[in-house]
Amino acid sequence: MSTIKNRLNLWGNLILVLCLTAWNATSFAQQRFPKPDFESGYVQPHPTTPEPRALWLEYSDVLVLIIVLALAAWFVFKRRSRRGILWVSVFALAYFGFYREGCICPIGSVQNVALSLFQPEYVISLTVLAFFIIPLIVSLFFGRIFCAAACPLGAVQDLLVYNPITLAPWVNKSLGLIPYLYLGLAVLFAATGTDFLICRYDPFVGFFRMDASFLMIVLGVSFLLIGLFIARPYCRFLCPYGVLLNWTSRFSKWHLTITPAECIDCKLCENSCPFDVIEQPTTSQSIRKTKADTRRFVTYALMIPLLVGTGAYLGGKSHVFMSGAHPDVELAELLITQPEVENDPDNIDVQTFLASGKTMPELVEAAVNIRREFYTGSAILGGFLGLVLGFFLINQVIFSTREIYEPNKGNCFSCGRCMDYCPVGKEPFLT
Amino acid sequence: MTTLLERLEEEPNNDALKTEIRNLDLLARKAFFNNQWQINTGALLLLISAIIFGIALNVRQKLVFQIEIPQVIEKNDFHLRSLVQRGILIVGAIVLFLALGASFYTKDYLQSFNIAESQAGLAEVAVEQIEIVEVNTGTEGMRPFEQPAVTELASEDIEPSPLPEMVDEAGQVAVRPEGTFPDLESILKQHGTFRGPLARGVSFHKNIPVVWKPADGTNIIWKTPLPKNGNNSPVIWGDRLFLAGADGGGKIIYCYNRHSGTLLWQKVVNNIPGSPAQSPKVTDDTGLSAPTLTTDGLSVYAIFATGDIISLDLSGKEVWSRNLGVPDNHYGHSSSLVSWKEKLFVQYDTNLGGKVMALDCRTGQTIWETEREVKISWSSPILASVGDKLQLVLASDPLVAAYDLDSGKELWSVDCMMGEVGPAPAWGSGLVFAANEYAKLVAIRPGTNAAAIVWESNEYLPEVASPVVADGLLFIGTSYGVLAAYDAQSGEKHWEHECSGGFYASPMVADGKLYALDMEGVMHIFKVDKEKTLIGEPELGEETVATPAFAPGKIYIRGEKNLYCIGNE
Repeated sequence: MSTIKNRLNLWGNLILVLCLTAWNATSFAQQRFPKPDFESGYVQPHPTTPEPRALWLEYSDVLVLIIVLALAAWFVFKRRSRRGILWVSVFALAYFGFYREGCICPIGSVQNVALSLFQPEYVISLTVLAFFIIPLIVSLFFGRIFCAAACPLGAVQDLLVYNPITLAPWVNKSLGLIPYLYLGLAVLFAATGTDFLICRYDPFVGFFRMDASFLMIVLGVSFLLIGLFIARPYCRFLCPYGVLLNWTSRFSKWHLTITPAECIDCKLCENSCPFDVIEQPTTSQSIRKTKADTRRFVTYALMIPLLVGTGAYLGGKSHVFMSGAHPDVELAELLITQPEVENDPDNIDVQTFLASGKTMPELVEAAVNIRREFYTGSAILGGFLGLVLGFFLINQVIFSTREIYEPNKGNCFSCGRCMDYCPVGKEPFLT
Repeated sequence: MTTLLERLEEEPNNDALKTEIRNLDLLARKAFFNNQWQINTGALLLLISAIIFGIALNVRQKLVFQIEIPQVIEKNDFHLRSLVQRGILIVGAIVLFLALGASFYTKDYLQSFNIAESQAGLAEVAVEQIEIVEVNTGTEGMRPFEQPAVTELASEDIEPSPLPEMVDEAGQVAVRPEGTFPDLESILKQHGTFRGPLARGVSFHKNIPVVWKPADGTNIIWKTPLPKNGNNSPVIWGDRLFLAGADGGGKIIYCYNRHSGTLLWQKVVNNIPGSPAQSPKVTDDTGLSAPTLTTDGLSVYAIFATGDIISLDLSGKEVWSRNLGVPDNHYGHSSSLVSWKEKLFVQYDTNLGGKVMALDCRTGQTIWETEREVKISWSSPILASVGDKLQLVLASDPLVAAYDLDSGKELWSVDCMMGEVGPAPAWGSGLVFAANEYAKLVAIRPGTNAAAIVWESNEYLPEVASPVVADGLLFIGTSYGVLAAYDAQSGEKHWEHECSGGFYASPMVADGKLYALDMEGVMHIFKVDKEKTLIGEPELGEETVATPAFAPGKIYIRGEKNLYCIGNE
């Protein structure tokens, strides 16, 4: 026992050293402009956003990502080592989280890609594109090993999973709709140049940068505290990039398996997954087809066009509300409804606009155009959500046979916890 | 720090003060960065604690870990799937409900801003030509009681001043009208400025009517519809009445024969160098033509929310025009003009800074210009007789200040106002009075570098209407409909009267009576006295915000739609 404790202490100390080293390493980041040299001993405050890096450093980030993913794949498929995956994720937390201050990350890169697709004047950098694509490509071969070992947001939650409870399936599935909504909104807002929602409301990036507002600290701490009992809540019920990984991972050529060989149906792994993604073998009872199921399938299938249409209609109708988040629209409406704000010297947006030389009709015209874009985008978002809702429902009346315990390929984070529960191949150690 | 910096402005060579400021600044910076260090260190400690906490949890988990013995749990898959479907439908319904709410409870304010109309209006203005239209074509279309009273002049006790001969050629710019600028006596006999002579709110005309009824024509000499909107008030010189109107389609100055109500000419104001291609955004209750014109009997002067200022001779020919720079004003520029001798005074307090200017009435050139440390205001200047000289008195946030007419030098100022100052100051009983809603009412005894507040009150405060002083009494009209009379010297309140409508038009004193016109068009007429004596409350029958103008035996009121001449029949 003392050996285990000593080893854990050693690892704990290593974590601290790693984090602090990564923290201090930010001071070596490249400066675009040299800082002035104050004779008075004045020390420049640390910037609140990551500083720009040299191109080779950006490429080195991509290289680190590839190495991390490769290591994770090796630990999952060759070594089948949960501990190995854990320490890779600790490194990812230190590097991509605290050292790179959460930027760039594949989750946020969704928005860069959306913006580059819909705003031709925005040119996406190769690094950002690589961060977006590489985890998706890797997931086509190995499943969501990015979530297991390379995502700093996932790692910070994963390290604090303490006593996870099993959520009822209806809660799991119902809340599983939220990431689709979040993804749709994030893409819409990014494509219209409104905002990068994912970054703005990233609950953990404030910890990485040590500059979180009070509300974001509350949000981040809440996620971590909830995560003690409901494992990785952000990943499961919010992460928009997880939606894409879910899709690609379903088609992964190889995927983590609970057992390295033939399942002996010992059921030891049944409750091993803190994320409730292990699917049990089907029984003849559970795949029994009934007339009710058939009727529901037909009903849901027929409902899909209706859901898409309704979603598109309501999405289109709600474009006025959603476009209000765009700074130009917000400013135009503010100046129309409260012209007296022109007199408010503290309103930076208004003062900047007034100083820009632009006229009110120009601003309103721009706002109207943005609102028009929102109309199309919101309608598409509504239709998309209707489609997702329809498929979620249909998925509940489609049965597939399963003979062994296996993780759901779409939802499994490939964290490897379940592998430790499987006795197959470990018989000599059980005695 | 602010106090020290203000002191430094006064004493720029005070080295000890500079050192003190530097030390204080260094202290403040140290405190700031010390605070930043504490926050960062605290955050770091918190992070380390969180990591240790996480490790501790994992250690505990590993120490107490035991693989659970599998238990056979009977699950009803069908029931579970039904629950999942319901859950999905509930989440879908919530999203649907939110979308419905977002769809039908959000107003598209952009629609209320008509870009096309705004641009079209500008385009029209751009192509308009100088136009002088003779419209003195008789009385066609006028109602019976609007017939000119040809015998009116005979009954008046003041002779109208001679007018320059009118010129018919359109498009010609007139030469500067010859003649001498009127003296004080001549000015007091006219109503050439907002709130009458010297902009003080007191008219010296007699025999002003106290009864009228437009519905049956009682005492309505004439009534004529106004072609363009404008919140400025009529001004009168001799037998001519001037006012202006403006909208997206253009800016026009009108001249009426005040006896007949006949439109003598109208002048489209355009092609002024520097005039913005697009009218500034103004609110409806201010508009593009809120400042009242002024006339000295030689020319009539007008200013608009675009910053365009123009001088016309009394036949409508342009003498000069210029653009003062578009005033950055979120409601619209509304400060009226006042002139004295060869100087035309412009109060130009905008969001970008305050200033007061004296322009040459003959050429429009700036004679002097004084920067003011004030915020934007909508107030108008007045001329106060302090000692044996006239002073230009202005009210703004935060200063009530007086300026020398010749040099523009500030003579005195009192820091006492705040907010969006609209009411002009008043002068009487040797005191300057200023008031504004959410600020206070103050009586100031002027004196070069020694002006002081004599008394102040905050019971009744006007939002737009200016105070007026007569016979030792100060009158206030509030936007919520209270008229109050104070003793000008002591500030003691003599009486108050609650009216049905609020006051935007400034109360005027004429013929020993107070004429206070509320926004519903009801004129509340009181005897100027310490005792409240209501003489009458005749109604106009339409809403109005313009201050009435007076002439011998007559009162002129600009309603929302019509211009009225009211006189004892």
